[in-house]
Amino acid sequence: MSLTIERLNVSFDGRDVLHNLNLKLSSDEIVVILGPSGCGKTTLLRTIAGLQEQDSGTISLLDEPIHDRLCEQRGIGMLFQRPVLFPFKDVLGNILFAYKKKNFQNMDDVHSVMNEMGLIGKEQQSIETLSGGEAQRVVLARILLTEPRLLLLDEPLSALDVDLRRKIALEIRSILKSRSIPAIHVTHDPAEAELIGDRILHWNELQPGGDDEE
Amino acid sequence: MKAALGRSVPVALYLSMILVPLLFAVDRLMFVTGMNPFQAILHLDEHPLGTDAIIFTFVQAILSSLLTLILGLPIAWWLGRYEWKRIGIIRAALTLPFVTPTVVAAMGFLALIKEGGLLDTMGIDLRHETGLIGELSSMIGIEYSGHIIALLLAHAWFNLALVIRFVEPKISTLPPRYEDAFRMLPAGHSRWNRALYFWWPMLKTSIQSAFVFTFIFSFTSFALVRWLAPNMWTLEALMAVEGGAAGIPGYRVDVSQLVLGGATLQGLVLLGALALAGRWQRQQSNEIEIVSEGYLRGYIGTPGKGARLGIFVATVFALAPLVLMVFSSIRIRDRTSESYRWSFDAWDRAFKGDLTYASVPEALTNSLAYALGCLVLSCLLGFFVAQTIHALEEQNKTRLAQLVDVLSMLPLALSGVMVGLGVLLGILKIWPVMFSWYALPILPHAMLTTPFVVRILLPAMREIDSDYDDAGRILGYSAYQRFVLIKLPLLKPQLVVAAALSMAFSLGEFGASWILLRSGAWDTLPVLVDQVMSRPKYFELVEPIAMAIATVLMCMTFLLFVIAERFRTHQGGGF
Repeated sequence: MSLTIERLNVSFDGRDVLHNLNLKLSSDEIVVILGPSGCGKTTLLRTIAGLQEQDSGTISLLDEPIHDRLCEQRGIGMLFQRPVLFPFKDVLGNILFAYKKKNFQNMDDVHSVMNEMGLIGKEQQSIETLSGGEAQRVVLARILLTEPRLLLLDEPLSALDVDLRRKIALEIRSILKSRSIPAIHVTHDPAEAELIGDRILHWNELQPGGDDEE
Repeated sequence: MKAALGRSVPVALYLSMILVPLLFAVDRLMFVTGMNPFQAILHLDEHPLGTDAIIFTFVQAILSSLLTLILGLPIAWWLGRYEWKRIGIIRAALTLPFVTPTVVAAMGFLALIKEGGLLDTMGIDLRHETGLIGELSSMIGIEYSGHIIALLLAHAWFNLALVIRFVEPKISTLPPRYEDAFRMLPAGHSRWNRALYFWWPMLKTSIQSAFVFTFIFSFTSFALVRWLAPNMWTLEALMAVEGGAAGIPGYRVDVSQLVLGGATLQGLVLLGALALAGRWQRQQSNEIEIVSEGYLRGYIGTPGKGARLGIFVATVFALAPLVLMVFSSIRIRDRTSESYRWSFDAWDRAFKGDLTYASVPEALTNSLAYALGCLVLSCLLGFFVAQTIHALEEQNKTRLAQLVDVLSMLPLALSGVMVGLGVLLGILKIWPVMFSWYALPILPHAMLTTPFVVRILLPAMREIDSDYDDAGRILGYSAYQRFVLIKLPLLKPQLVVAAALSMAFSLGEFGASWILLRSGAWDTLPVLVDQVMSRPKYFELVEPIAMAIATVLMCMTFLLFVIAERFRTHQGGGF
């Protein structure tokens, strides 16, 4: 299994948000979780990424427990609802943020990913001039360069119009498949779920009694 | 735990930097006078000038604030209502006096009112009270009324920007439909009724805030009082001049009482005024919706002749003292023939200095060294104090956050002279050898500027989306890397504004520097201006030299404010 979550519990101010949640993901599988706003989808992703503390339960990635590791050490990528780009850097500067920790020798990988994302020629462009779709592409390029072991997509297409959402959903799927990166995508849009996912789970299936196994 | 400890160290350092010298100073004064600060207030009349100083301080501060409103409100109205070409330049010109160091303002007004100056040539002799002013003076029966008028005008000139900054945005962003709707009602038919029942409730909090801040600045004014009304005493001026004799057991106990009681009274008044201003500002921010500036201006249209003339006169009024100061540095009066000549002799002397006063390069070096020291200390401390308050707010420890916030604002209730005296009397008690330390003035400068740094950085920190930090974590950055590579660059505009304002404030700071440096060898530019002006005027270049030094100080300060304003406007500063 790529990702295994067992009996995960998260609460805010004594209120259970995730209660005994279970989820399993096979390698290079893209799972879409469908659920209404406010049900806890984002909390689940943030907990898997290590951005949110859990009360109890286990999270394992490639059979290795990661729930007691810091977010920085989990090797997980995440796309937020709003593209998070650093305003003090241009497009290339934002993408190169992926490399700050490593001493990279050449730009081949960067150019290759930028080419794949359709960002060639926009290297020096200010991020303020990017459209919503382009901004998410820059974020995705940056994350791909970190070679994540799992990608979490927190409704990254929700702010885009229907046609563009469909186009980028298909592109993301194709990129993830070509790189064999497993992913969890959360959305409340069934059409988007159909396009991108190998498997679609409804939120209530993840809670006790729900069967998330194929 | 480690982070909390790391944060509490700079906060503790900052609070001890403020409180330790002041507490030691109070302790010393209490020991010498044998009374507590509140008892000392009741004994202020024991100093020969104490009662007069208290009365004059309040009266001039209230009159200055009223005059500022009378002059400032029409300007704010015209600027806010109409579409002006080059409004940025007009606004900058009208704001200029407020960012002018007080010593420069004093020199500018002296250039305006001095014998042979512009007003004197027009028959308005505020300096020696002859002619029209003399007649007025004997008619109202107030001694030195020319000096008082000059002081009130100078305070109004200095604080005009406050009225504009508080009131103009309120006028220019009010949706026009409110006024239109009110005009339809019977009560809105006359101009007077609209002013009374519509505009006053709308602008009340802004006008009150402008009044209070003008009152605070006028209440603690020192350089302007010292040079424009040399025979009048405010508490600040009296404490500064007499303060050197305070804190010595058995010697001039009335002076120690004056400093202890005067500082306490002044602190209480400033605290009360700040509390009021804070309350009104909070009310102001919770009020009605706003529209963009351009919308109302486009709706009302271009100004009429009266408004144009008013803004022209206001701009001339704002710039005249500064321009005349520059001219006065090159217009030399010949003592023998009573004629004038144009020459750069004063500039030459100012840059060379002599045996009795430092040269401009020497004083500028000292000023810049202190300003840089102040920048480093206040930005570092201010950053960590703001960071601590923000972290406590994020952890929902609201009460503790408010407590640190209020404590960090304490120096705002202290004037330059109070801080200078606090350091003088406090430091002398703890470690007398520090008094001869070159860097000592950095301490009061940083005490006075750190609250501004906190006020600039804290709103900016609150505005930073936590997604940036999350994105950094997702990319594998450690807490330190996220701080250096993400948080600092995001705060760069506000840091530049805070740094420029700290430097500018330190460059122009007069009260505390005057207390600590008047007997020292490390004079700053403002202290040098004062020293040169204090010399007998038999030598024709004395005044022009002081004007030349003040011009250098003005240029340095304006340069820093241009930098700050550029970042504040284009990148969204918080202050």
